[in-house]
Amino acid sequence: MLWKRQIPILIVAVIGSLTLFGWFIDEPHIKAFVDDDATQWYDILASFAIFLGGFNLLKLQLQKVLRKQAGWQYSLFAIGGFFFAVVAGFFYKGNPDVAWGTHVTAKGTLFKWMFTYMFAPMQATMFALLAFFVASASYRAFRIRNFEATLLLVAGIIIMIGRVPLGSNISSWFIMYLLVLVAGIAVNLIFKNKQYTLGAVAGGIALVTAAGMSMGWPLDQPGIFYLPYLQEWIYKFPNVAGARSIMIGIGLGIFATSIRYILGIEKSYIGE
Amino acid sequence: MNDRDFMISAGGISLAFLIYWFFGHPYFITERIVMFLAIMVFSGTLLFFIRKARRGEEIFLRTIPGLKAVEEAVGRSTEMGKPVLYVPGIMDMDQVETVAGVIVLGHVSKMTARYETTLNVPVSRAIVMKAAREACKESYLMEGRPDMFHDDMVHYLTDEQFAYAAGVNGIMVREKPAACMYMGKFYAESLILAETGNSIGAIQIAGTASQAQIPFFVTACDYTLIGEEFFAASAYLSGRPELIGGVKGQDMIKVFIIGLILAGVVLRLMNDVGLIDFSIINFLTVK
Amino acid sequence: MNFIIDLILKLGKVDRRWIFLIIGVVVMIPLFYPLGLPIRATATTQQAYDAMDALPKGSKVLVSCEYGPSTKPEIDPMVRAVLRHLFKNGHQIYVTCLWPDGQFLAEEALDEIGGGEFGLTYGEDYVLLGFRPGNEAVVKGIVSDLRKLYTIDSRGTKVTEIPMMDGIHRFEDFDFLFSASAGYPGTIEWVQYAVDPTDVQMSTGTTSIQVNEVMPYVAAGQVQGILAGMPGAAEYEALIGVPGIGTSGMDAQSIAHLVIVLFIVLGNIGYFIERKRSKKY
Repeated sequence: MLWKRQIPILIVAVIGSLTLFGWFIDEPHIKAFVDDDATQWYDILASFAIFLGGFNLLKLQLQKVLRKQAGWQYSLFAIGGFFFAVVAGFFYKGNPDVAWGTHVTAKGTLFKWMFTYMFAPMQATMFALLAFFVASASYRAFRIRNFEATLLLVAGIIIMIGRVPLGSNISSWFIMYLLVLVAGIAVNLIFKNKQYTLGAVAGGIALVTAAGMSMGWPLDQPGIFYLPYLQEWIYKFPNVAGARSIMIGIGLGIFATSIRYILGIEKSYIGE
Repeated sequence: MNDRDFMISAGGISLAFLIYWFFGHPYFITERIVMFLAIMVFSGTLLFFIRKARRGEEIFLRTIPGLKAVEEAVGRSTEMGKPVLYVPGIMDMDQVETVAGVIVLGHVSKMTARYETTLNVPVSRAIVMKAAREACKESYLMEGRPDMFHDDMVHYLTDEQFAYAAGVNGIMVREKPAACMYMGKFYAESLILAETGNSIGAIQIAGTASQAQIPFFVTACDYTLIGEEFFAASAYLSGRPELIGGVKGQDMIKVFIIGLILAGVVLRLMNDVGLIDFSIINFLTVK
Repeated sequence: MNFIIDLILKLGKVDRRWIFLIIGVVVMIPLFYPLGLPIRATATTQQAYDAMDALPKGSKVLVSCEYGPSTKPEIDPMVRAVLRHLFKNGHQIYVTCLWPDGQFLAEEALDEIGGGEFGLTYGEDYVLLGFRPGNEAVVKGIVSDLRKLYTIDSRGTKVTEIPMMDGIHRFEDFDFLFSASAGYPGTIEWVQYAVDPTDVQMSTGTTSIQVNEVMPYVAAGQVQGILAGMPGAAEYEALIGVPGIGTSGMDAQSIAHLVIVLFIVLGNIGYFIERKRSKKY
């Protein structure tokens, strides 16, 4: 019990306090511990722990093959890939002129070949899936259910179009004409009167046309209707305001969790 | 420690620090005093409310639908005879979000033990594997079902972000879990995981403090715990008064911060127009 | 009319694989037949450009590469554009990597642009210090004592034998930092542990997803502008007058965004029709 309860809690309390309060102490050893050693200790521990992970992966994949479980053929690729990476990293450089150690980055080595022709394309493929998933997720989820959802949708569309060159080539006058039509729909929904709707749309179009002719139809003026400016404004103000508040909340959450650990109030990590 | 002792200890520590400060505060980095005081005040506030809760004072904790749904999701998996998939993020134990993810896993595994449902926890870091295993093992023991626990319910896939995402997607497509939970630190793989989960019709609950991924989870999951809700999950699920007290303390700190922001705006304005010399920005910037 | 309504409703329930196919096609077509849409720089890109353009000739600029092959299409074009700009203005470039894969990509970009295009000398005009493990500890290490962390560069040469390393001991010896970041550790760690405690200025280029997280630091003036994803790279390429991969990807991205917007509009029309029908019955 002592090894599984009190000692781990003591280690967390001592190392946690030292790392937290060490930041305020001007003493080279403590500074070195806080700035470098503590993190590096963790990295060293994590590097050794990779053996645990690697063996666990290998064990499960081998079991799958030996027991011929569903999809065992894929496990053969996992096992093959595992050993191929180990060989390229530790046993076979592929280029005798390159020293061990630098062989992982040097040209003409098996490891570099693996990185360039296997690892990089596979990573890029997985990341590229995002484009497809974003499309299908937004198609399914962006629905004008209420006022907030409508705001979200409009902001999303402004950012999507305003961020790319297509948006910077859409004149603010075009957006104004579009808004006149939307206003026409709104008038029709409210008054349900064709004459009113026609009046609103015709009046709006005339007003925009007159303003455009007097200003000489500049692409990005008035700026409030120019998509790139609008998206920049959304990014800079509503987005930053929201991001900051979430950031403060997250920071507080992290702080409170850390303090609960250091003081031994939260002990779930040892199963209590 | 009773209230009187607590106050005496707090007063004693403050007095000792004051004496140390007036005697030239050797070894203390003076420029960081604001941060130091903030930590002390915030920690004090947290402790105060934790003690209050321990004394039995009732603290209201609003219902968090995402956490309420956790039990529902496990129940659904039991009914359908399908496993629960739990993903504790892709980062290591040095990230507080991962730690919070492992804590929530402890609670979820208690439920799976209670309902006799299969739990599958693929992880992307070896240390997380060890920690998550311990959490699950303890939970199954506490629920009196050590027979149901086996090491391989928590298994390592890979450290690589997208290889991990591909591995988890494979598990989803093959095993078709009825519930998928994503609790931890996530990056670009969040939508890949959540969309695949959505395509197999699983009930999905996510919890993360990764700001950029919150919109993806909100879009593709049934419930999402945003930022601090995720850190409050342990308090909510365990119902332990000292943890709930901590959540209340957090709220009080937030009120204090809101006050500080308002005061900061006023002071900044006064400094900008030349009414005062004091610059709040310089005062609060930690060097 | 009923046929159109039924079609829209059918489209609303379309298998997602059709959406994937359409997105794939609309992304590919502009790559083969570019539209050549003109590119205008947004304010944040312009701010980053101005900050780097204002550096006096011969400045020592630290470029940190925190990205991998997955985010290469977004980040690599901006790294190349920034390198071209900095080399053209006669600055000395020091490259570090907080991500292991960043070193491979940084090496490629440096060889191609520094050694190839500009014919500069390694060790005198640019140096690749390479990757060191430790995440934010590396940033802290560079701030406190760079030479303790980097005794050799990526080619195994001793740092003391590299001419351009003279006078470089810690972060404050650099004049500017550009962080090309795709996540953790990256821009935010540089702001918190390097730029805030010192007076060195920085700018950044991030993936589009990350812009939300980094924007508060740009708004607060802690970061001088931001190149936001591939459009940011294309805008920077337009500013330096050398079109690259960023520019060529813009047509595809423009059309893809437009198609996604059309999907959303179509989805909403379907949603409204369905809602109206369900109210009716």
